[in-house]
Amino acid sequence: MAAANPLITADAIEATEFMDLSRKYRVTGVPKTIVNETIEIMGGLPEQDFVRAALNLPETT
Amino acid sequence: MGLLSPQDEIVLKQHLSTLSKPVQLVLFTQAFGGSESGQVAKQILDEIAGLNDKITVVEKSFVLDLEDKAKYKVDKAPAIVILSDDVDTRMRMYGAPTGYEFVGLVEAILVAGTGNIDLEPETMAWIQAVTTPTHIQVFSTPT
Repeated sequence: MAAANPLITADAIEATEFMDLSRKYRVTGVPKTIVNETIEIMGGLPEQDFVRAALNLPETT
Repeated sequence: MGLLSPQDEIVLKQHLSTLSKPVQLVLFTQAFGGSESGQVAKQILDEIAGLNDKITVVEKSFVLDLEDKAKYKVDKAPAIVILSDDVDTRMRMYGAPTGYEFVGLVEAILVAGTGNIDLEPETMAWIQAVTTPTHIQVFSTPT
């Protein structure tokens, strides 16, 4: 997603290495995705579902 | 002994042969007070770079290279910043890229070095329509 839009930054974080961050975002299972500190996505999703959730797009998009 | 098996190297080399642009892997580590994962990250990146001459590893100190740290907005180490022909791809990896993270690193290198983004056209259109800064953090573990 970052490669497709210069406004997007994507960080892949090893959860056990950065325990403070994992605690901050309540990472109890992986993968867990946090977008702009507000959106939380648990687990892996199909491509369109993931992007829709990450960008907070309505179901009808 | 290498972290990549000879079989891994053959497969990886084949994937990396599609690169058309130089890829720089900027690795920030902390020599003192840092974790061992910085050394593991360095070894992995060096082994990958050894498979294709378009890939280079640039080492930076998380403590001393403050200008680069600010430039790439790196706030923890070890960190890998992926550049495509010296242009920041805004893809970052934090921690040693082992296990699943390794797959993510290779995919990021392929995107940076080929310019090919493997997404459906509709999804791509949604992403390109984003007009506000968006920070995505994905937490995972090696296994």
